[in-house]
Amino acid sequence: MNRIEKIISALEETANHPAKAVKASMKETGKKAVGCFPYYTPDEIIYAAGLLPVGLWGGQTDIKLADKYLQSFCCSIMRINVEQGMKGMYDFLSAVIIPAYCDTLKCICDNWHVAVPQTYLIPMVYPQHRKIAAGVAYLIDEYKRVQKELETIAGKKITEKDLEDSIALYEDYRETMRHFTAIVSRYSKTLNAKTRHLIIKAAYFMDKRLYAIKIKELMEELKRLPEEKLDGIKVVVTGILAETDALLDAFVQNKIVFVADDLAHESRQFRTSVRSEGTALERLAYRIADHDGCSLLYDEEKKHGQLLIDLVRENHADGVVVCMMKFCNPEEFDYPIYKKELEVAGIPMLYLEIEQKMDSAEQIRTRIQSFAEMIK
Amino acid sequence: MDKNISSKQILNDMISRHYKEALEAKKSGERVAWATSIVPQELLETMDIKVVYPENHAAVLGARKDAPAFLRNAENNGYSNDLCSYARVNIGYANLKESAAGNIPMPDFIFCCNNICNTVIKWYENLAREMRIPMILIDTPFNHTFDVPGHSVKYIREQFNHAIGQLEQITGKKFDHDRFKEVMKISAETARWWKKATALAAAQPSPFNGFDLFNYMAVIVCMRGKQEGLDLFKLWAEELQGKIDRGEGPWKDQPEKYRVMWDGIACWPHLADTSKILRKNGINLITSTYPDSWTIVYDSDDLDAMARAYSSNYANRNLAYGAGNIVQIVKDFSLDGIIYHSNRSCKLMDFRQYEVQRQVQEQTGVASVIFDGDQTDPGAFSLAQYETRIQALMEMMEQRRNERLSRR
Amino acid sequence: MFLGIDIGSSSSKAVIINAQLKILGKAVFNTGAGTQGPEKAVGAAFREAGISGEKIKFSVVTGYGRMTYDKADKQITEITCHARGAAHMIPSARTVIDIGGQDAKVIRLDKDGKVENFVMNEKCAAGTGRFLEVMARILDCSIGNLSSLSENASEEIIISNTCTVFAESEVISQLSSGAKRENVAQGAHKAVAKRVAGLGSRIGLAPDVVMTGGVALNKGVVAALEKETGQKITVVENPQIIGAIGAALYAWETASKLS
Ligand code: SF4
Ligand code: SF4
Repeated sequence: MNRIEKIISALEETANHPAKAVKASMKETGKKAVGCFPYYTPDEIIYAAGLLPVGLWGGQTDIKLADKYLQSFCCSIMRINVEQGMKGMYDFLSAVIIPAYCDTLKCICDNWHVAVPQTYLIPMVYPQHRKIAAGVAYLIDEYKRVQKELETIAGKKITEKDLEDSIALYEDYRETMRHFTAIVSRYSKTLNAKTRHLIIKAAYFMDKRLYAIKIKELMEELKRLPEEKLDGIKVVVTGILAETDALLDAFVQNKIVFVADDLAHESRQFRTSVRSEGTALERLAYRIADHDGCSLLYDEEKKHGQLLIDLVRENHADGVVVCMMKFCNPEEFDYPIYKKELEVAGIPMLYLEIEQKMDSAEQIRTRIQSFAEMIK
Repeated sequence: MDKNISSKQILNDMISRHYKEALEAKKSGERVAWATSIVPQELLETMDIKVVYPENHAAVLGARKDAPAFLRNAENNGYSNDLCSYARVNIGYANLKESAAGNIPMPDFIFCCNNICNTVIKWYENLAREMRIPMILIDTPFNHTFDVPGHSVKYIREQFNHAIGQLEQITGKKFDHDRFKEVMKISAETARWWKKATALAAAQPSPFNGFDLFNYMAVIVCMRGKQEGLDLFKLWAEELQGKIDRGEGPWKDQPEKYRVMWDGIACWPHLADTSKILRKNGINLITSTYPDSWTIVYDSDDLDAMARAYSSNYANRNLAYGAGNIVQIVKDFSLDGIIYHSNRSCKLMDFRQYEVQRQVQEQTGVASVIFDGDQTDPGAFSLAQYETRIQALMEMMEQRRNERLSRR
Repeated sequence: MFLGIDIGSSSSKAVIINAQLKILGKAVFNTGAGTQGPEKAVGAAFREAGISGEKIKFSVVTGYGRMTYDKADKQITEITCHARGAAHMIPSARTVIDIGGQDAKVIRLDKDGKVENFVMNEKCAAGTGRFLEVMARILDCSIGNLSSLSENASEEIIISNTCTVFAESEVISQLSSGAKRENVAQGAHKAVAKRVAGLGSRIGLAPDVVMTGGVALNKGVVAALEKETGQKITVVENPQIIGAIGAALYAWETASKLS
């Protein structure tokens, strides 16, 4: 194995074995861990408290216990999170934060208290009117409330300096990730759809400081390589997340490269920066205010479609792949609008309905292949 | 009001007039708004804006069996069948603009409050975008705490002011604060009478006639800020009180055998079937979880109280509140059973229903049943399954009653 | 004499009891509602009991086809009848699992054997007998042979789609990519067991857990259910006719109240 392969395989290992990776990070850093449900949890505050934020985005567990609380038409990511919680898979976390962005998440907050009483819950509600002063003020109050909870867990006060340091670290991480996603098209073989996904995913289970160092190292090494000629299809992928292995394998087999993404699990986490002025919490709140093109945040102008068009143009992509999380209402509502806009712009689109646990992806594989054949 | 006309007749008349006037207003160039069912309509009423409520209209289309054409149109435009069917019907209607079951004018702007669900934000965003019209949003953060926290109240109140600014801009008129106070007073008063009338169902036998509740609900949704709405509920309360005094039950030809609550929205396309089966078994539907959502009561001139009231409907509060609320209803209305509608449209109601059912069962021991359906999509419901479940509920209620009697 | 008839979606059952609650005649006929099924089952039960129709004092019909059968004196749901029948056969039963053709149900009983609470599947056919029928058809075996087929399973296969339509195409694609029929049969049992276990978790499975209905004859499903629920499951004798027994018991009870 060369250095590149080593770094990549270590990151893949982390992404493929979250619990093991998190426990290792806890041991390495001596920190307690706090679980972060999707989306936009205040990881900076958690980190500033000396705690380790860990992403909880479902997994591959079979549903059984969660049926006690949720009908079958609940999105798979939340059914799995509840299942994993009930199975005790999150018992090593000091708390979880669940932000109530959609109707499903509101219910998950409520059910958690009874379904997973052993894992302490910090519910959060983000403002939808996030751009007006009242919304920003409300969010800051929410942050303050959560900060207090985290201080209790950590057993320490968080100072303004702690927060500023943490924000700086996260800004560095976000910037690094923006660079990383931008170079994918130049190394389309090494960073194929699956590897790219796993590398980005690994961040959820590591200390961001250590993770950013790894990614920078990786990019340094890549720079030494000759560019890889891209002979496949370039796409922008959108949705909540692009998982299962079978799905990603199908992309790789058909030489479909993710030159950019608009996934909640990936770029939506790091494409927007904090503002430079204001108190630490104000800067965080304005990041939510400034973040656009996400189905979870109110936007009467519906910039989601334009954002996708821009991503396609900037990255000279051949089309858009929609990974629609089944039963995800926010994403399902955005779809008809951006679909129309993409059609007007003449951008080909592949619509895939996904669940996090799909053992048979036969139909999806066929669709991916015929999309590839169509573009070629 | 003519004393010889029943509130039921007035009700039907009012609703058809409500739609007719909105259509006429639009024709004569007035501005029309579309709004969600529990919006602070006080703001619109103060500005004298004609409002129609898409949820109510979708229910009407559903009940008159005209929803499928609109559902299909939405689907053809890329809307998943998994989305709330009110939204799908309305979005289909916004495209087709014509229904034999009744029309509404297209809006000049839309007014949305997410105290009922976050689905409406997405739905209204799409309307605003497709029609290129302004959208006003009142965001009421979900109360995972039992009560509405202080910073939410402040946030909501400030949004009222923000919305007033938007309204002034849209209409070019000044907001009249004196008129606002008046409207607040009427609205709160209407809500009080609504509560008073619906509470009369507690009498034994109940003067309520099964699904009547759902019919009167149209007025509390559409005319909460109007004197005529207030008058109607006063009259209705009077009629009900009269029936109680005369010892009259729900039906002339059969007694009320069992008293139940319905959790969730009606199955509009199957309204006749669902109610017939209850009646066949002597089951009277006397109350529901969600009419109380319109008991928006506050002291006029207190914007904080108004903000709190608009964030306090049960859909926007936590499970502990929701379950406790039903436990109270079971006691207050002396219920024998509960029918839970697992409504494919409404994830916010569904994904807490199993646990609510368990907690209520534990605290009251009252018999209950869950059935699958949908408020406007006829396909999500199976009559045979519904019938079996209702009958099984009836058998449980019967057996419990026999046990109670034999213990005496 | 008292008659109980249970008209399911795929079979009809009839039971005749006397005033001492002894079973005099019983019959199962493998066609359900709307056909000759009910008639034939009733006729066969009479023959076995060696009596004629006039001897019947009261009759109760239950099951999916109960609404359209007009020859009985009374109709009662299969929930109530299965509970009654199961509690009669096994008085210590506190939970009854019945997987019917259209509906799967888990019923909790109080200490007197009365229905305390029950849950049924969502509208779709996941976790019902219908699902197994579809699987048997794809595997080209009779529903009765599905269980013995699964006994020879060598490897665990997971059928992840709970929707019958999707599960069908999932299984077809598994078979075409070389999965063994035995393993698929076992996977089908497991899929049903999982759904039913999930259903059970909504009201809790208090022991003794008793299984009724025709699917209880399928050992593969019972074993899978025991594994999924972690509970011992007792299969009552003649599980297919438990609903009809319950109906006959209600016929007797109603008649004795009337007289
Ligand atoms: S946003 Fe979509 S995927 Fe995420 S929790 Fe809500 S419904 Fe599920
Ligand atoms: S039915 Fe439910 S999801 Fe649909 S608008 Fe009403 S509250 Fe929202």
